Amino acid sequence: MTRLARSTLVQPEATRLRLDLSGPVLALFAALLVILVVLPIAWIAIFAFSTKDGGVTIANFVAIFGDAEFQEPLVTTLVIAISVGLICCLVAAPMGWLVARSDMPGRRLVRTLVTASFVTPPFLGAIAWELLAAPNSGLLNQAWRAISGAAPDHHLFNIYSLGGVIFVISCYTFPYVFVLVANALDRIPGELEDASSMLGARSWQTARSITIPMTLPAILAGVLVAFLQAMNLFGSPAILAIPAGFHTMTTKIWSLFQFPPKPELAAAAALPLLVLTIVLLRAQSAILGQRSYAVLGGKYGAPRPVRLGAWRWPALAICLGLMLLPVFLPYGALFNAAFSKVPSKLITWSTLSLHNVHFTFFELSQTWGVMRNTFLLAVLSGTVGTLLALVIAYLVARRAVRGHRWLGFLATAPIAIPGIVLGVGLFLAYTRSWLSVAGVDIPPMILYGTLWILLIAYLTIELPASYQQLGSAIQAVHPELEEASRILGATRLRALREITAPLLLSGVVATWCFIFVAVVRELSAAVILFTSDTKVLSVLIFDLKESGDLGAIAVLGLMMLAITTAVVWLANLIPGAEARRQASQM
Amino acid sequence: MASVELRGLTKRFGATAAVDNVSLTIGDGNLVCLLGPSGCGKTTTLRLIAGFIEPTEGEIVVGERVISSPRRTLPPEQRMMSMIFQSYALWPHMTAAENVAYGLKIRGLDKATVDARVKAILAVARLEALAGRYPSELSGGQQQRVSLARALVVEPETLLMDEPLSNLDANLREEMRFEIRRLHDQFRTTAVYVTHDQAEAMTTADVIAVMNGGRIEQLGSPEDVYERPVSEFVARFIGASNVLKGQAIDRTQVAIAGVPVATTGRALEPGRETAVAVRQHDIRLAPAGSGEPPANTLRGVVRRQVFLGSSRDYIVEMQDGAEVRIAAPADQSITPGSAAWMHLDPERCRALTR
Amino acid sequence: MRNNIRRPSRRTVLTGAAAVAAGTAAGWPRVSIAQSPPAQEITPALIEAAKKEGKVNYYTSVEIKVAERIAKLFEAKYPGIAVKVERSGAERNYQRIGQEYASKIYNCDTLNSSDAAHFIVWKRDGLLEPVVPVDVAQHYAPEFKDADGTYATWRVMLSAIAYNKTLVKPEDVPKGFRDLLDPKWSGKMVKAHPSYSGTIMTATHQTARDLGWEYFEKLALQKIMQVQSAADPPKKIALGERALMVDGGDYVVSIEIEKGAPLELVYPVEGTPLITGPSAVMKRAPNPNAAKLFYLWSFTQEAQQAMVDVGALRSAHALVKDRPGRTALKDIKLMRENAAEVEKQADDIKKRYTHYFKV
Repeated sequence: MTRLARSTLVQPEATRLRLDLSGPVLALFAALLVILVVLPIAWIAIFAFSTKDGGVTIANFVAIFGDAEFQEPLVTTLVIAISVGLICCLVAAPMGWLVARSDMPGRRLVRTLVTASFVTPPFLGAIAWELLAAPNSGLLNQAWRAISGAAPDHHLFNIYSLGGVIFVISCYTFPYVFVLVANALDRIPGELEDASSMLGARSWQTARSITIPMTLPAILAGVLVAFLQAMNLFGSPAILAIPAGFHTMTTKIWSLFQFPPKPELAAAAALPLLVLTIVLLRAQSAILGQRSYAVLGGKYGAPRPVRLGAWRWPALAICLGLMLLPVFLPYGALFNAAFSKVPSKLITWSTLSLHNVHFTFFELSQTWGVMRNTFLLAVLSGTVGTLLALVIAYLVARRAVRGHRWLGFLATAPIAIPGIVLGVGLFLAYTRSWLSVAGVDIPPMILYGTLWILLIAYLTIELPASYQQLGSAIQAVHPELEEASRILGATRLRALREITAPLLLSGVVATWCFIFVAVVRELSAAVILFTSDTKVLSVLIFDLKESGDLGAIAVLGLMMLAITTAVVWLANLIPGAEARRQASQM
Repeated sequence: MASVELRGLTKRFGATAAVDNVSLTIGDGNLVCLLGPSGCGKTTTLRLIAGFIEPTEGEIVVGERVISSPRRTLPPEQRMMSMIFQSYALWPHMTAAENVAYGLKIRGLDKATVDARVKAILAVARLEALAGRYPSELSGGQQQRVSLARALVVEPETLLMDEPLSNLDANLREEMRFEIRRLHDQFRTTAVYVTHDQAEAMTTADVIAVMNGGRIEQLGSPEDVYERPVSEFVARFIGASNVLKGQAIDRTQVAIAGVPVATTGRALEPGRETAVAVRQHDIRLAPAGSGEPPANTLRGVVRRQVFLGSSRDYIVEMQDGAEVRIAAPADQSITPGSAAWMHLDPERCRALTR
Repeated sequence: MRNNIRRPSRRTVLTGAAAVAAGTAAGWPRVSIAQSPPAQEITPALIEAAKKEGKVNYYTSVEIKVAERIAKLFEAKYPGIAVKVERSGAERNYQRIGQEYASKIYNCDTLNSSDAAHFIVWKRDGLLEPVVPVDVAQHYAPEFKDADGTYATWRVMLSAIAYNKTLVKPEDVPKGFRDLLDPKWSGKMVKAHPSYSGTIMTATHQTARDLGWEYFEKLALQKIMQVQSAADPPKKIALGERALMVDGGDYVVSIEIEKGAPLELVYPVEGTPLITGPSAVMKRAPNPNAAKLFYLWSFTQEAQQAMVDVGALRSAHALVKDRPGRTALKDIKLMRENAAEVEKQADDIKKRYTHYFKV
């Protein structure tokens, strides 16, 4: 061993002399965050308290809160959000448990189907449900009349109603709760349940006293996400509520940007949503407090599935039956609409037609440009957004910089801003001309009309979710793994690159896919920020929807899903992503 | 090679001082053990030395170089240190050999040198056969040795160990103590070892710093702290001493439960409350005889006795209600409830400073 | 219109969004146009210059399939010039152009709107390039063209009532707007929105003027299905989703009938709103030659006839023949269009409409 003579070993002198770039890089990301988040919010705040000619006023709030035209949408929005939260919890939590903890057959299939419903843009789902459950032309209502012989104007479902809006939003929001619950259950070690069983508890007692309380934070978080999603969703209510003659807050805000635009009223109208979201998020952390059930360290066995016995197959049947609603039926209806001449009639071999496909790809002059914009933006946002969220989540999780709490707060803040309001904030921030502040002329930053403004919007909108995803992924990587690297001579960035990043690979891929999917389906900010040269798929579909071109919508929607699925599938083929996750769970 | 010096090191989290004005010099090639219960500030001290956190006050000097001060803290990667973590912190996506090679690669050594050094250190750590395995495929002891090898292969100026054995089972822990000592003797790296296990500290350390409440309570050789504890805390924490309290009668004697007990250690101030440490096996127990007990002998009643194989564990209650714990020879059995005499050897009764 | 003077003009409101932030309104130069420029023909030089530009951005509110078909006809006639159709509701396009121009984004080459009032504003603000196609000079009546040659009526249409024959018995077919207030139509009607559609904006102005706002106040109680574009109600009744449409483009109804939908138009006894949809060339067109070429071509007899044939619209071109079997305009009792009034009242119309219909 003495042959390993100390003197021959090069100590990292070079490292010592080299400039450590970590600090500046961190500062850069912090500044970026301020630009992404603070700037649009600041503009919204300024507008909420501004008169049309720039004076300071609270008249906007008086107008909002004193007017039934705004009070009704507010109440409607709350009713929708609460209902969606409860429905999602009731449906998704048991389903998550079945998939994560029971011996129900087809668990993977159910997970895949839930993913499919997540990938479905809510506005596309809403259009599909119009095809299915519009009171007169809806396929389900037609079928009902054919079966029951009910009168021609009799209908079973009316999707153009408050109930219809709640139903459709729930269909495409419950995956959030499902994923949170299933993942939480995946992480709870089987031993904890075994310990309860050993003490003589029966399966249901164990579930009640151990599993459910341990899952409660995830359920609560899921309900909150569902609530916020439902509250801030624009597409589905725009498609279903407006024909029924009522507004939600988001559609009301959107209508304020129609000519003549009233951004100051819109900003003020966004305030209740903003306040409510912040209150709820505070309440959640107050309720959960430090009750973090993350089980770290120690080796735990895989959970033992609960035997359902005779209920195995009925449970699967119920799950698949539920998946009719967000997946099978809507996609059936879209296929029908894509390949028939009249979307409200079931296709037969004789009525099968490719004219919608032909129109979409060969006549509609916007299709290709829009596709290019959409997928360029989705890839860019996925990549930049993942990187951004990764660094911020890292800085916060590792308390790497002073004020990391603020970074975390800023990264989470956009969750409180409806996409449509953020769109306006960005519009205001990046369309202005010369601005003079305290005698200093600030040059104009005109990004409106470029893809950049959409990129910024997508980055900001997807930041909270991707930040939290990667935050929990980073939490799962023990800080000592990085410290071990640093003490051996790696800079913070090098440790991040060589140790943390590979261990986070599967989380990173998942986040990238998440952003990609979310960008492709994002409508509410894009609907404000697009110009004809920077139109994206969701806006094109929305445009087509406003003039009732259901066939082309169906074709575009199905293609959108096909490409999204293909991209997500390809991303998951990145070598080692799966295997390394196994390793990092050690 | 360099010594490590802590000068008035203080780290506050909010209002509480996790490390409170700690000064300590670790001589070149010495292994110093920071020993104390959880929350005593030993791990914080270690992380301050590593540079993972910055001190609130004071500084850390390695050789001639100030590496930590409130104004400027050298990042961990520039300190030429190594660390063994409580969790081992082996990188799950690298094999044992890759884990060990990592630090060498960072130092920019060529592949052949890296390979040779990795091979050599794996041999020292008896890990050759396991080089290609991933951490998840190794046992706890094997992971521990990989962790050691990874820290030593870069031949650090300073080696830091944070409860390195706490995740091992008892047998392995004992074996690894000697392993660490053996490797230290071989490399003579300046080392700081954090533990809450006094046996571990005794086996491995050249110098032990007993920590309590963010301060160093006593600093000395293992013999020093064991034989000559300065405070009640050290006496209790190291080697299971009884701490008996009484009033000093003169410069050497303390009245304990009314009995004058001769002590050693320091000159007493007559009239002052004084604590005396006596180790459990330094008390000679005997059934109470008739008449007056001999000098330096306390009276009591046996409350409990447990046969431990090599010895018998007694709890004896004195007249003033205080309990004394005694390790008596295994063959000496006194029925609980009966009166007993406890003879204290004046040489073994240590009057405590604090 | 009590506060006509104090109310901000449409233009100041239009730029208000950016102006509040910036402190200054990004204005465009005012140009006073003395008189109509000479009529222009399509020249080989223009075609050549247009081909160099290679594309033209066409903003329109005409039904998308009609727009794309017209675009394809142009592309076939002048290969190498791609027409990018930017279709949205006329009111939406109006806002879009305002927004884009306020940000100095000059994307639009030529545009067509179903709200003639927009051209009054655009012309006043100097956005339009005066171009007079020779066809317009020769074959268009004065009411279908701007005296200064900045725009001309590209299409003419009606916002009529229509119904689905399978859902409405012949004896129930309404004769006019007031028949729609009968409770039996509650929940059975679909209607487009004046905040989106220029057709509906214009029609709403005429209907409210002739029948009074009480008509809309009562109509709003009929559980109307509210859609956006004037192109949508015909599609909704073709689907069978509703039995009757209150308003919407008559040409889309005709197209649906041709496709086999069991629809029938009703020209209300109170009069049918007439809507002219002018076109113009933008002064700041990024592809000025292609814009001019497209504009000149779109007013030729050939293009106008194609518009009538494929789009079932009506033409103001004197030589263009109406579709066979179609009721001639002179045989329909029409409401009178007044773009100047629409321009003044647009905001008020939207406000009242939203008040009654809640959305």
